[in-house]
Amino acid sequence: MAFRNVNRRRHIGLQQLSSLASIGRTLLGPVKSYKFIVDVSTSESALTCSAVRLLESLDLTSAVGQLLNETIQAQNKEYKTGMTTLLFLVGAWSNAVLECLQQNVPLSLVVSVMSEGLNSCSEKVKCLQLSVHDLYKGPKSVPIHFSSRSLGSQITENKVPNTGSNSFLNPLGNIIKDIPVSKEECFPESLHSHQASPCDPHDRCLNSHLCISDNITPSLVEPVGNKTMPAVLGSSLIASNFNKRTKLTHSRYFNTPEKSHCPLQTDNFGSAPIRPGACPYEFNDFGQLAMALSHGNQSSMKLVQDIFRCQQQIAERKGSSQFNIAEVVTCCLPGLSENYSCVCPGYITLVSPEKATVTKQLRDRPLQILLIDGDLREKYRHLGFNRPSNVSTISESVALQESSSESIWINCALDILIQSKVNLILVKGNVCENLMERCILNNILIINPVTDTVLHAFEKGIGVQLVTYLSQVNSHYVGSGVWVDFWKTLELDNKVPVSIKAEGIHLVTAVLCSTVTSKMQVTEDQFWTCAYRLYHALTDQKVFPGGGAVELLCLSHLQKLEEQSLKQADKYPSGELHMSSCWLTKSLTQYKSVVLKALASGWHQYLSRVMYNTASYESEFEASTFIDHHLKKATDCSSPSSYILKEFNKGIKVMDDVDLSIKQEEALKIYDNVTSKVEAWRRALDLVLLVLQTDAEIITGPKRNQLLNSHTSSEFTFV
Amino acid sequence: MSRIEAKKPSLCTDKPLTKDVVSFSLSVLSGIVKSCYGPTGRLKQLHNGMGGYVRITSQSSALLGGLSVTHPVLNLLTASVKNHISRFSDCGLFTAILCCSLVENFQRINFESSTVTKISRHLLSSCIDYLKSEACGCRLSVDFDSIKTLLSLVRSILASKPACMLNKTEASYISTLILKAFLLTIPHSVETNVVLGKCVIVPVKDKRVMESAVYPGLLIEIPVFQLASIFPVKRVSSSTIKMALFCISLSGDLSNIGDGPVIVHHGISLEVAVLDQLLNLGKQLVNDQVGLVVCQKVIHPSLKQYLKEHRVITIDRVGLSMVEPLSQMTGSQPIAALHSLSPTCYGSLKDLRTENFVSKHFWHLIPNDILVCSLILCNRNEMAWDELKHVCQTAEHVLQLTIKQPLALLGGGCTETHLASYIKHKSSTLSTGILKAIDCSQTQYQLVADAFCRSLECVACCLEHDDGEILTDMVYGHFWSVQSGFPSDCNWSDLVLKCGCGIYNNQRNLNWTVLQRQCIPFIPQSCSNRPSVNATDHLVLDCFTAKCSGLQVAVETANLILDLSYIVEDQN
Repeated sequence: MAFRNVNRRRHIGLQQLSSLASIGRTLLGPVKSYKFIVDVSTSESALTCSAVRLLESLDLTSAVGQLLNETIQAQNKEYKTGMTTLLFLVGAWSNAVLECLQQNVPLSLVVSVMSEGLNSCSEKVKCLQLSVHDLYKGPKSVPIHFSSRSLGSQITENKVPNTGSNSFLNPLGNIIKDIPVSKEECFPESLHSHQASPCDPHDRCLNSHLCISDNITPSLVEPVGNKTMPAVLGSSLIASNFNKRTKLTHSRYFNTPEKSHCPLQTDNFGSAPIRPGACPYEFNDFGQLAMALSHGNQSSMKLVQDIFRCQQQIAERKGSSQFNIAEVVTCCLPGLSENYSCVCPGYITLVSPEKATVTKQLRDRPLQILLIDGDLREKYRHLGFNRPSNVSTISESVALQESSSESIWINCALDILIQSKVNLILVKGNVCENLMERCILNNILIINPVTDTVLHAFEKGIGVQLVTYLSQVNSHYVGSGVWVDFWKTLELDNKVPVSIKAEGIHLVTAVLCSTVTSKMQVTEDQFWTCAYRLYHALTDQKVFPGGGAVELLCLSHLQKLEEQSLKQADKYPSGELHMSSCWLTKSLTQYKSVVLKALASGWHQYLSRVMYNTASYESEFEASTFIDHHLKKATDCSSPSSYILKEFNKGIKVMDDVDLSIKQEEALKIYDNVTSKVEAWRRALDLVLLVLQTDAEIITGPKRNQLLNSHTSSEFTFV
Repeated sequence: MSRIEAKKPSLCTDKPLTKDVVSFSLSVLSGIVKSCYGPTGRLKQLHNGMGGYVRITSQSSALLGGLSVTHPVLNLLTASVKNHISRFSDCGLFTAILCCSLVENFQRINFESSTVTKISRHLLSSCIDYLKSEACGCRLSVDFDSIKTLLSLVRSILASKPACMLNKTEASYISTLILKAFLLTIPHSVETNVVLGKCVIVPVKDKRVMESAVYPGLLIEIPVFQLASIFPVKRVSSSTIKMALFCISLSGDLSNIGDGPVIVHHGISLEVAVLDQLLNLGKQLVNDQVGLVVCQKVIHPSLKQYLKEHRVITIDRVGLSMVEPLSQMTGSQPIAALHSLSPTCYGSLKDLRTENFVSKHFWHLIPNDILVCSLILCNRNEMAWDELKHVCQTAEHVLQLTIKQPLALLGGGCTETHLASYIKHKSSTLSTGILKAIDCSQTQYQLVADAFCRSLECVACCLEHDDGEILTDMVYGHFWSVQSGFPSDCNWSDLVLKCGCGIYNNQRNLNWTVLQRQCIPFIPQSCSNRPSVNATDHLVLDCFTAKCSGLQVAVETANLILDLSYIVEDQN
């Protein structure tokens, strides 16, 4: 056993945590900087812009690194959003806590005041929650339009000139200005091919995925404190031509290749059933909600919206109106232009050319399907089956070779398949190669590997059960009414996309395309993030106003708590600590304001970083001054929450020297998920406090001897 | 070819305690356990340094289970503490700290070990006698008519483990749940032989703590993808479902084939033979009108298919921990063979439903006579969940011990300081007869008693981790903490707020002194005659039985360690 004290002088654990978290700073906010992760030994590299993938790819051998990774993964598993916030706050709060320790605040006090402070803030921000019900009047308001493809329909209403959207409540709306980069540096040649704004061709439109070009819809300014916020309904997002450009335009590395795809070729692939971007954005509540939750990923969110519409169509017949995220799968087609990205009912996957020939034979007629929950190999056995090692088979006749057992099995399997007239098999695991060949010869299409989601969608949809072994197959286990066809006439890397559909199946596939192969993963992640944001908003039935409103309220609330703590210096708020008897309760007032300040500094840094990252401000300092300005205004107000809501509704106009050329652009509404945000805060603080309270690392097992001989051995005590 | 090596001679060490390595190891171990103690105790990261699971904990069971101590003396100590924990769950750190301090303090006075042993045994017995007597001033009787004391007991246990990461609301919510779950396991009618039911903890990780809940009956999670194929259960009568419980694998493998080679002729498949046997079993189950088959391990897909075709519900892979409560709840005998099923081994259920909690799906097995309940326990991550689960189990165990002996000791260090004052007083007024009986001088007795009291007070001092100072009052002998660095001439009563257990508030006449400073012995007064005792909401309480045992184990183990004169180690 080796034992290391981690609490000497400055807390090592917190320092580790803070430096690990600092790598995620540029990932915060809607405008992210991509990161390359390069493995020095193998020269393999990965492109990422999410906290989860970043931590996954890092070699986190330290205990603190592992804890951080576990925390991020847990948030990801549960909510799929809020991980970057979590990562950032972990860093900011570790620094803040280190600061407290330097000021000799007793550790236990830091723990209890911080956790009580967060608790109080989480309660406080509830008053900012907006009911989704008010924002979105139910599934009926979702228009279904598969065919409309009229481009460039402009929705301009209530045009109020000079409603500058520069705000930090609306950082997105802000991006197009104040960017101190010359057009030439940023956009070599491409921008000239499609000028962003008819008003000003020189508009420095960096943020291509923001639809702020020629379609502008300002929001109505509503009276303060109106929680239903009809103003939101008035504002609109417009699917501009630029939506199909990708986030990668912001990358320092990949600027030009992506740009070349920007020119709009919307109508080239008209056969897609539902096309994002192709259909103009309809002016409706639901679309507003979805777009406000997209946080800059409009193109992904459009796909999500289309999925929802698609599900609504099916639900119309089935009578359910929820966003069923469990029956959504993605199919990634790297190398294709993003214009191909779309949503299709049914299952779409890539198959090899041999299988494509079978597909050709099988299209245009209903097929019999078999679902296999395992491998299709002779040696495969279900989970939990232990093969005995001491059984050997002897044979009396020489003719029976050992290799023949497989061919017997294949013949038998094929017999079963042919007898039960199966044309299509979905297999979860691997398939024996020889059997696969024989099936192709017999015009039986085997698709593998297939995820559980797909298998069970078919199980549910066509009412046929899964089997583990072919020997289980009888007529009850073969489904019918399944159709297979090619999905467009494409070939990618020698593979062909096919689609499998059946009556009654709810499965929807989002086909995701990206010209840059290394960006495929990012695109897929972004799609899921959007999907889950919408899903959580609909399940929570409430959203937060985004763009920093919630954090600002926390800051003002903490300021209030701080003042209170100074005022009632002589009262002991009993029960505030777990151990109310301790002397810490008595000295609480002495330190409380320091700790609350530390807690506030986390959110403060978060806000200024988001604003800095969205390029609205030249420095974090400038952003921070701006926050202080608003914080003061909010705190001076009798009700900070209504002040913030008001500002959110109109989009704070801050700078008077707004560039005139962009006076028309309008603030986007931004919404955040409620539960995942508050949970991300809590998890971040929990991790920091957990590491803070840890004073020693105990390493058990064989690692001890390695440590004994290593150069760090002086740090350890060996027992 | 095997090689025969000559046996190495055994290694013999005499007077092991005088060796540096032993005292060093002991001090490291005592440092670890001391720093973990109490609600503000520091946590430890426990991992293998090679990317394995990181456990953050301050629980004695996790710590001692995770430590790989090599020295026999340390092994002796950890083994007896672990044994205490396995019997009582609670007070493990108390036992370990007390044992370490006793060894340290007794070593310092440097007497013949037999004298120390004799005197400390006598001190121990007077402690235990005092604790068990009506006159004891640091215990409360637990009133089962109100849940206040019980809640305090549970809350104190939860609060003492900060790695659970609960805030105040969550802690009181979980305390209520634990108590509720415990009450569900108490039989309604009391006969001569009372058997408590069981509370099964259902793990739900990555969720919020406030989503935890308690339900009567047993909940078994249904994998998401099995939901599609659920059908109504077959019943024998409207309120009876016949069920069979298997504790062997029904996966169709040959697990019980034994050692040694088995030779099979070509064309004969053992697997098919076993599967046939399984299907025969299935046939019998169907004939016997069984509606539900539960298996601890895996059921063969073909058997599942067969049973499903005959409308029998199967639940497999429930795990060993579920078998006992299942069999207790349904009255079924766990079946361990594929053949010769006797109809007596079937059990019965009142109802079987599917329910949806915390966005997961569960089978809800409802027994006729509810004595089993399920605690769905949620916490935000695996690590915190592990810690919380352990605390819940401890709390449940403590409640069970308390129902057997309805007493509780004052927590927060007050019992230790009170007991130390009592022993100080007792040893100063010792009769010569007793000294003769244990064959020692008054000075000897006094020195050992002082070391004993110092050790007890040392345990109390370990509750303070933020450089505070500990005081004790000269009336009740309770524990009071104050900020350090106070001026020497200040009034104590300006500094103190409440005593450790929360019974006494600041009173002018209490006459404080710094703990472990020499003072005139006094008879500590009892708290039990205070009318406000049961009215106070937030008392810190400890489990009586566990603490008494901890005290005994610590003293006995310390004596044993001091008594070691040789260690003989086998080197082979």
